[in-house]
Amino acid sequence: MVPHRLLALTISALAVFSTACERTDRATRAARDKILLLGNGAEPKALDPHIVSSVGDANILRALFEGLVTYHPSDDSAHEPGVAKRWEANDNFTEWTFFLRDDARWSNGDSVTAHDFVYAYSRILHPEMGSPYASMLYFLKNGEAYSTGAVTDFSQVGVKAPDDHTLVCTLEDPSPYFPDVVKHTTWYPVHQATIEKFGSMTDQFTLWQRPGNHVGNGAFRLVDWRINTFVKVERNPHYWDAANVKPNGIVFFPIENNFTEERAFRGGLIHYTYVLAPSLIDWYRENRTEVLRSETYAGSYFFRCNVTREPMNNLFFRKALAAAIDRETIVRYVTMGGQQPAHGFTPPSDAGYQPPDVIRFDPAKARQYLAQAGYADGSDVPAFDLIVNTSEQHKAIAEAVQDMWKTHLGITRVSISNQEWKVFQQTILDLNYEVARAGWIGDYVDPTTFLHMWRTGDTNNQTGWSSPDYDRLLKKAAQLSDTQARYAMLYQAESILLEELPVIPLYWYTRVYAISPHIVNWNPLLLDNHPYKHIDIRLPGDNPDRPPYN
Amino acid sequence: MPSTPTASTPAPPAPDRVEKGTSLGRDAWHRLRKNKLAMCSLWFLLAMVLTCYLLPFLPLIADPNKTYPDLKSLGPFTTGESVKGPSVFYSLGSDYLGRDIFSRILHGGRVSLTVGFLATSVSLTIGVLYGAIAGFVGGRTDAAMMRVVDILYALPFLIIVIILTTYFGNQLWLLFVCIGAVEWLTMARIVRGQVLSLKKQEFIEAAQSLGLGNAAIIFRHLIPNTVGTIIVYTTLTVPAVMRLEAILSFLGLGVQPPHASWGSLIKEGADRMISDPSLLVFPSLFFAATLFSLNFLGDGLRDALDPKTSKD
Repeated sequence: MVPHRLLALTISALAVFSTACERTDRATRAARDKILLLGNGAEPKALDPHIVSSVGDANILRALFEGLVTYHPSDDSAHEPGVAKRWEANDNFTEWTFFLRDDARWSNGDSVTAHDFVYAYSRILHPEMGSPYASMLYFLKNGEAYSTGAVTDFSQVGVKAPDDHTLVCTLEDPSPYFPDVVKHTTWYPVHQATIEKFGSMTDQFTLWQRPGNHVGNGAFRLVDWRINTFVKVERNPHYWDAANVKPNGIVFFPIENNFTEERAFRGGLIHYTYVLAPSLIDWYRENRTEVLRSETYAGSYFFRCNVTREPMNNLFFRKALAAAIDRETIVRYVTMGGQQPAHGFTPPSDAGYQPPDVIRFDPAKARQYLAQAGYADGSDVPAFDLIVNTSEQHKAIAEAVQDMWKTHLGITRVSISNQEWKVFQQTILDLNYEVARAGWIGDYVDPTTFLHMWRTGDTNNQTGWSSPDYDRLLKKAAQLSDTQARYAMLYQAESILLEELPVIPLYWYTRVYAISPHIVNWNPLLLDNHPYKHIDIRLPGDNPDRPPYN
Repeated sequence: MPSTPTASTPAPPAPDRVEKGTSLGRDAWHRLRKNKLAMCSLWFLLAMVLTCYLLPFLPLIADPNKTYPDLKSLGPFTTGESVKGPSVFYSLGSDYLGRDIFSRILHGGRVSLTVGFLATSVSLTIGVLYGAIAGFVGGRTDAAMMRVVDILYALPFLIIVIILTTYFGNQLWLLFVCIGAVEWLTMARIVRGQVLSLKKQEFIEAAQSLGLGNAAIIFRHLIPNTVGTIIVYTTLTVPAVMRLEAILSFLGLGVQPPHASWGSLIKEGADRMISDPSLLVFPSLFFAATLFSLNFLGDGLRDALDPKTSKD
């Protein structure tokens, strides 16, 4: 009997040991301390709201800063008071007055005042700043003129601070959805003294963003930032609503490889994956359905074409490429997350806007376009690159598309090259590409967030494309206060975009990710901007009525 | 000026029976043939090389980059009916875009084997010559040459490759050169060490006293005596080189998608391990079998080629 007893003992010891290990994995330990561990895609470019432009970077900034208005935990179009406790507009929505709360504080204890916002806007719009997202502030009167250097006096830009706690924004055009717009990262304030301590106002990458130097006004403050390892933030004791902030801290992990991220999730190292690789979706559906989420997401996946370069400067060639992509196949078998094949650029939204239905997969038409472009068959098309940022999913899509172009058009000399995210962004900005993968997620709930960027000279255009008709239609649409008339005008503008195809739409996003069941209040959001202060972590057995931290 | 006396050398007496001499190579081949494991490995490698290089030209093998997304993740020995039209037979299954795994492995093998052998021969040539010269000449030349190796050792490999690729563009031949140019350093050190100990031995003194030139001594006497070590190290280099190729391809500096190498196939497979294990298993089997046989063959060759082990 001794061996048996020994065996039983060993097995039970092992069982105890393994459950002990399971209980104390990193995600569980962090959950006990109410620390969120979030996968966040690529390494952030910066922690400065005036430099960043990607979704992952904005995710971190949302913890470190707070705008005038902030995001609601479950409703994209609801407005939560942020630094502004209330706001009002004039009759035609061209002048907005924000009344700032007295108790808003920077993470070093200083008061957040209306002047901080004015300073921030003068910084992002400054021509020397070269901010990639400055165009978000073209809503302000003379914002674009100042940014392009046509107006040199900032006092002519439509933002004023009559006193410390009042901010008046005068807009170029009537914008009833303006409170949605100011939730965006580009409208965050920055702390003037900190920025100017480490360089001049327009210096891009100074030491002010480093841990210890960084000053923000969000619910969290920066603790540590290790390149390619993590960005760690903790609750900010000076935050005006600190008592209601649920998590004690957040750690953002820049894990570029979708599969590595998923393994980290499965191994209990993180609570949430930024994405979930398509080939794993089926496995999760069968085995871990309780952690799999698939939600509507206001985003468009497309290819940018650099219209200043051969052979992309040829309209018919772009049309041929667009018509030779079988989007149905891509969403069904390659991305697999329930994405919608795009027949236009702007995703159809609940707000009522429907994009034109013109983008089609039509191989015969594609060959005809190719002939019109002046190529007898695909083999005489000059070699060009399709660049993607490092990700298995983008690579798989690119490979599928490359083969479609080869099958339907006979184009053989397309090479796929992948670039690391920061390099990739710079390459696009420098127009140093022929075709590049791109994704655009709405910044607010209105079709203009997808259409403004294609205006001439818009900082997010990055294709070299420009159309006076398009600009004029958008300008005209902006002056209409009737929503239906405005949408009709935007529809016309989008039709021009889809006729000239500086971008080749592929599909409309769905947000597919895995999240620990212990995370509470992480609701489906169309724009996916989760306000972290409302996110709670509850382990089974936790008392939900436990008083909040401190 | 004294004239050179003409000395007539008497012709050697003709022997009754000339024993047929055997060359080093022939001896080695005889010894190698007795080593069954090494011979199996040799035939396997030959078969692998021939398959990889010739079979992709045969119509039996599918286009490795042809996608049938609706036929993805099929198991081995299945036939899929694509909505695109043709029915496709997959001998080893299909990958995440419905491409033929078998065909991709063979095409990937071409890249991996080419990189493995070419880059290794580059490193072999440079390393052996450099090390032998440094060791044989000795003194200040040796010190200077080895400091150059030290300096090159200290340079970060990836950064050099990135600089070279940005300068010359992303080309496959560059990959061979880059890897070869880095891998020769250790080879040079090893050969130098061997030569240092060999050059004090009597047979070298004998060769020198017979008036042989330096080049002849290095090529006829020193290098053949280091062959055992060289071969062992070479068989270690080939897998290392294939691994480097995989790393570079992953960073976007080597083989570009949709083309594949064994390294990139294994990487893709490792990522999809839980959902699609055959993507990992098959390329790994091919890779592992090749590396094993390279090692066994290397082992056998060392035993066969080392002149010091020749007793018969």
